Amino acid sequence: MTIDEIRELVHLVTDTGIAELELQRGENRVRIRRSASAQHTEVMVPSDAPPAVHAPPAPASPEIRMPAVPAPTEVAPEETKTVLIKSPIVGTFYEGPSPGAPPFVRIGETVQPGKVLCIIESMKLMNEIEAEVAGVVTSKLVQNGQPVEYGEALFAITPL
Amino acid sequence: MSFDVESVRRRLPGRRVEYFEILDTTMREAAELAAAGAAAGTVVIAGEQTAGQGRHGRTWHSEAGSGLYLSLVLPAASPPAVTLALGLAAAEAIARVTDLECDLRWPNDLLLNERKAAGILVQVESGVLIAGIGVNVNHTAFPEELTGSATSLRREAGRPFSREELAAELCEAVDRYLRMLRAAGKEKIFALFTQRSSYARGRAVTVDRPEGALRGVTAGLDGDGFLKVRTPDGREHLIIAGGVRAVGA
Repeated sequence: MTIDEIRELVHLVTDTGIAELELQRGENRVRIRRSASAQHTEVMVPSDAPPAVHAPPAPASPEIRMPAVPAPTEVAPEETKTVLIKSPIVGTFYEGPSPGAPPFVRIGETVQPGKVLCIIESMKLMNEIEAEVAGVVTSKLVQNGQPVEYGEALFAITPL
Repeated sequence: MSFDVESVRRRLPGRRVEYFEILDTTMREAAELAAAGAAAGTVVIAGEQTAGQGRHGRTWHSEAGSGLYLSLVLPAASPPAVTLALGLAAAEAIARVTDLECDLRWPNDLLLNERKAAGILVQVESGVLIAGIGVNVNHTAFPEELTGSATSLRREAGRPFSREELAAELCEAVDRYLRMLRAAGKEKIFALFTQRSSYARGRAVTVDRPEGALRGVTAGLDGDGFLKVRTPDGREHLIIAGGVRAVGA
């Protein structure tokens, strides 16, 4: 994770009023927490971040109907909640239906449940990832065409 | 050539078989049927597609009356191993009908003499898996941009084949391989793929990736079915999407 990416996350937290955001990508884990009283933002990069785990792309059970989107994770406590949309599968992240096509969603866009946010491709299996909540897309956390791990956060959505 | 959908229905009793002379894409139609409650096993066949889908925005050349273009609503299955199982199933169906033995290019392209005779795409929409299978059956020629990379069953065998028979065999073979995946696990599918595919091990390949092409030699599948490619510096890379081509192809 680069300094620029961390800076972008800090902006995400300050711009949206999220209380706390924790993100792990590969071997890097970052937790950004807003102080309740002050306007400053704390950034913690734990030195004991666990190594990246190559998680299986499918659930352990061989006979599970795969959810289009895993259960959203609420990272912020109490009032200001952000839902992270995570990848249910190891694959390649595509922001649009085809190269050169407009992305499925843009930052700042309001989405409804069922709205396709991106495609994760794994072995020519194109997995449409849908919003499970109505809200505003506040951040896209992966670049188009990049590989993603199982459970990696793809988008942050602030529910309406 | 017209398509005798009734003969397919007779071969596949109890299964919903929908046929359209012309569709934009069988994938969209199958997804809509699934969303409306169509059971697993439902199959959508088109005589011609005006917007046949390939991988991530690519198109599938879908000439009228020559190819078999079908989409199947799949039962719940373990992705992405299911994509390898579908390639094995299609190869078996083609062998039963034509005696042609396809090579499998990871993950599931079907090749005859290094040219693509059939392709498979799987989409997950709202939790439902839909497989799209396109087979070049009776094409005698291809558009210029495909002549070096595509072939048909007819061109390879020197005679035409029944698309109806192939459709029925495909549906039955997919059922068999998905049962095998459920009963014996993904390891069984990976072992069969490794046996059958010349691309699984020891093949010099290039892999198209957004960050640049990778050139190396294939080194088998990992525990999840992803393709391992060893580069000249001795490092092993895991290929998770596709875009694998033989060097020189």
